Amino acid sequence: MWNKDKSLILSRILTLAAAMAAVIVAIFIPAISEWYQFEMAAEANSFFDRSTMFIPMCITLYVCDALALAALWNLHILLRNISKDEVFIQNNTNCLRRISWICMGVGVIMMLFGLWSSIFIFFGMCALMFGLIMRVLKNVFEKAVEIKSENDFTI
Amino acid sequence: MPIIVNLDVMMAKRKMSSQDLAEKVGITTANLSILKTGKAKAVRFSTLEKICDELDCQPGDILEYQRE
Repeated sequence: MWNKDKSLILSRILTLAAAMAAVIVAIFIPAISEWYQFEMAAEANSFFDRSTMFIPMCITLYVCDALALAALWNLHILLRNISKDEVFIQNNTNCLRRISWICMGVGVIMMLFGLWSSIFIFFGMCALMFGLIMRVLKNVFEKAVEIKSENDFTI
Repeated sequence: MPIIVNLDVMMAKRKMSSQDLAEKVGITTANLSILKTGKAKAVRFSTLEKICDELDCQPGDILEYQRE
């Protein structure tokens, strides 16, 4: 029977799988960059010449990969706290705030790389949008922490 | 917070211990301690009513407003 505990375990497994995927992707970043540079030539316009994109793409992917691992680590902390029944606590709000900033950071980096490959502007905008959603979620959590604290200190 | 809780003063006047008052009011000693130390963010009317009943006093004897 499916229940919330199993759902939490699934979320933790998926987070771990995503972290492993991020580590594996990090190994192949130069190969991915080379493949993208030469195989995706029919893609949309770019501001800079495509032949100069290898190093910027490697840097972009390495930074984004590191940020993704940081976001996944925060997600892991969040899920660990939730499994301990500690949901509306300041630590979780901090995790959500960090994830939000990481998403926004990824968004900005991707948009900068959009100068070499315009499709990345779209990916960057998606990441910025996700960061914004996480920020609103953080605000909701922040308010919930305050309400819980008031409730706990109501005698 | 500008609301001061003078519960300990009233308890001393009535010579009542925290343990006794907590038992009579029906709250834990930990919660009574939160109330006494001014850490509480709100007091239920029902709790206030029981405290006033047990200490034979008015809410104003326990709570005081001081302008900041």
